[in-house]
Amino acid sequence: MIPLTVAELARPVAVSPQRAPVAVVARRTARAASRSGVLWGYVFGAFVASTAWSYTSIYKTQVDRDALEAAFGSNNAIVALFGPAPELQTVGGFTVFKVSMTAMIIGAIWGLLTATRLLRGEEESGRWELLLTGRATSRGATAQALVGLGAGAAALWTVTALLTAVVGLSSRVDIAAGPACFLALSFVSTAVMFLAVGALTSQLAPTRRQAAGYAAVVLGVSYALRMVGDAGLGLHWLTRLSPLGWVELLAPLTSPDPVPLVPIALFTAVLAAASIHLAGVRDVGSSLVADRSHAASRVGLLGSPLGLAVRLARGVTISWLVAVALVGLLFGMIAQSAGTTFSGSSVRQVFERLGSTGAGAGAYLGVASLMVAALIGFAVAGQVGATRAEESEGRLDHLLVQPVSRTRWLVGRLAVALGLVLASGVVVGVCTWLGAAPHHTGIGAGRILAGGINATVPALFVLGIGTLLFGLWPRAALPGVYAVLAWSLLVELVGGIGALNHWLLDTSVFHHVAAAPAVPVDWVSDGVLVALGVLAALVGLAGFARRDLLGL
Amino acid sequence: MTREAPPIRTEALTKRFGHVTALADLDLEVAPGEVMGYLGPNGAGKTTTIRLILGLLRPTSGRCEVFGLDVQRAGVETHRRLAYVPGEASLWARLTGAETLHLLGQVHGAVDTAYRDELVERFALDPSMRVRAYSHGNRQKVLLIGALMTRADLLVLDEPTVGLDPLMEQVFRECVHEAKERGQTIFLSSHILSEVEALCDRVAILRAGRLVELGTLDDLRHLSALSVDATFAGEVPDLSRVPGVGDVHAQGHGVRLELRGPVAPLVRALANTDVTGLVSREPSLEELFLVHYGAPAAEGRPSESPPDAGPRPGDPVDGR
Repeated sequence: MIPLTVAELARPVAVSPQRAPVAVVARRTARAASRSGVLWGYVFGAFVASTAWSYTSIYKTQVDRDALEAAFGSNNAIVALFGPAPELQTVGGFTVFKVSMTAMIIGAIWGLLTATRLLRGEEESGRWELLLTGRATSRGATAQALVGLGAGAAALWTVTALLTAVVGLSSRVDIAAGPACFLALSFVSTAVMFLAVGALTSQLAPTRRQAAGYAAVVLGVSYALRMVGDAGLGLHWLTRLSPLGWVELLAPLTSPDPVPLVPIALFTAVLAAASIHLAGVRDVGSSLVADRSHAASRVGLLGSPLGLAVRLARGVTISWLVAVALVGLLFGMIAQSAGTTFSGSSVRQVFERLGSTGAGAGAYLGVASLMVAALIGFAVAGQVGATRAEESEGRLDHLLVQPVSRTRWLVGRLAVALGLVLASGVVVGVCTWLGAAPHHTGIGAGRILAGGINATVPALFVLGIGTLLFGLWPRAALPGVYAVLAWSLLVELVGGIGALNHWLLDTSVFHHVAAAPAVPVDWVSDGVLVALGVLAALVGLAGFARRDLLGL
Repeated sequence: MTREAPPIRTEALTKRFGHVTALADLDLEVAPGEVMGYLGPNGAGKTTTIRLILGLLRPTSGRCEVFGLDVQRAGVETHRRLAYVPGEASLWARLTGAETLHLLGQVHGAVDTAYRDELVERFALDPSMRVRAYSHGNRQKVLLIGALMTRADLLVLDEPTVGLDPLMEQVFRECVHEAKERGQTIFLSSHILSEVEALCDRVAILRAGRLVELGTLDDLRHLSALSVDATFAGEVPDLSRVPGVGDVHAQGHGVRLELRGPVAPLVRALANTDVTGLVSREPSLEELFLVHYGAPAAEGRPSESPPDAGPRPGDPVDGR
């Protein structure tokens, strides 16, 4: 071996001069977070635009607007669910009421998923460790990642504010740039707080999934606190304990109040500082909540690919069923009181466009079934993603080199997804009935249960599409099913207010399902949708049997 | 009784990914009971070949048979008789080692449970641990045990010792010897020359998707030249006439040479000199490729996987 000379050793290693390695984490995180931030900014902007414009076209006269205010403005059940509804006789008031809670929750979910993905997810995958072998310390890298997440939130705010301000220029809508920015700030502030929550839970939990789960619990608790606080039970102080409540108190466009920004900023700062501190007191890759590394052997389900699929999906399925049960109970409980207020003619117009005719609890539950159908659809998308991940992460290899045919494996995964969908339909039906029963809605258990089953039909179709893509173009499977769901939801939201023609409405998978129990279930239409889903799944199965297994 | 069909037989087996040819016209036959080493630098197409044999990839052209059955048409039947260990161990993170082994065994069908328990013992695996908590080497052990416990007629091993410590690598070698004694056929992909030399009857060498050498170890003995560096107190003696020595480069008081065949003649020659230092090194596979096949050819080489330069961590750095 020819030894290196001292001169050679002393020669400095070439370092790319234009990029300080120190800010790599911040840059990477900012890039990833801004990408989805911009996307959701467009969604928020579109939501605001469609709401504001449709309000001005449906509620043209002051009489209509006063009727709306009278019907909704003081309905405690509605306020508990969607937040306060002041000044429904104005475009701004209605827009805030209609958009706020949805935007707040979507923003919070975006925040917690983005933060846990870019912190705990990166750490779990081992990429974080690679970055830390450079000059960055654990704390420094976490601080950088937080800056990057902040950039994502800034992107979300910028796009939302811009679009809102542009919509505000319309003389019918008439929202000035300042209030538009404040409205966008109120939407984004939940995202910011839950980015911080996600950053903290990423320090606590050993896996991305668990970190997101802890953060979701925080979201659930803050929603529940403000829900009870707003329910008119004299517990309004509870709202002041909830992060979502603080955002509500900002009251953009109606009676804007910047003071609640103080607890919002404090909450974010404390959680961010705690995350940075905790990142320094633990080892990279470890977590503060002890990870149980040993477990007793439970092999009951581990006898076949189907059993494995059940075992892997068990946890997620139970959480989904609990969520769906709670949603069903909630809708059932408020159906009667919410439905009564829907007798106002102008509101019925909206509901009729959404396919829900009639009045009372039935009409309300008809509209609610759309949300349930979307929820079950997202559960199915999760299953499509999990199926693809088995392949892309290499675990499927271990099964397919055994005497297991590809078709057998995929049919097992589909059976699990199918079980989840059908169980969701039954659970939501039963729970809605349980919630509604004490209020004498006059809708029989059979009708409500049929409505629950009916709400599973779009999910079954989406499962078929997901399987088709998985078989023919696996990398597009997960984005594909999310695209179908997001597009359909958008069409429903915009179309429900009469802004679209029926050709466009027909592109929404939800549009082909009757709004039961408001109207009778259209079993023929359901049958066609399910048949199309089955056909797509069969093509997908055939394609999967004939293609290469593909990594990421 | 008719002669048993070969455990692996490929015929003009070709796989292209877009414009990249990962494997070109591979004709290979592995005989029953033999241990075949499958060598090549990173990106040569070893894993592609194995995934074709397993039916995880579809060939662009050509065919592949396992025990006389076409793997594309009769995948499930061929899988009853083989077991596979990948080089990259991604398993279900929440299952424990024991649960994973139970699952793999159940899905495969027949398992020698006594042998499984013995393997768990020999590989010093803690089976009650969750896969997530395992180190890379421990995950690899789970997969090795999972394959060996089936006593399958054909073991397909794709760089199975990556991540194993030397002690465990020794256990692995013993297991391969045992499997061979039982008459099992083994197809072992590796880029560690010493491992292949210790275990294999025949060796196939792949470069840039093409088979470049195939033969017994004796056939390929000319590949295993030893690189020797010697330093002397005085003048460098003339070693070029020593049997087996070639490619001699003298510089100052040092000399670098290549040695093929037995070491004894060189040692005897050096004994009479004032030698002060002696380092011998098995050339890395990559060096052998450079020596025997010239600089890497541009055509047909997958662009994303350039050959590594220099010896790998797994390669021995001292003479044998």
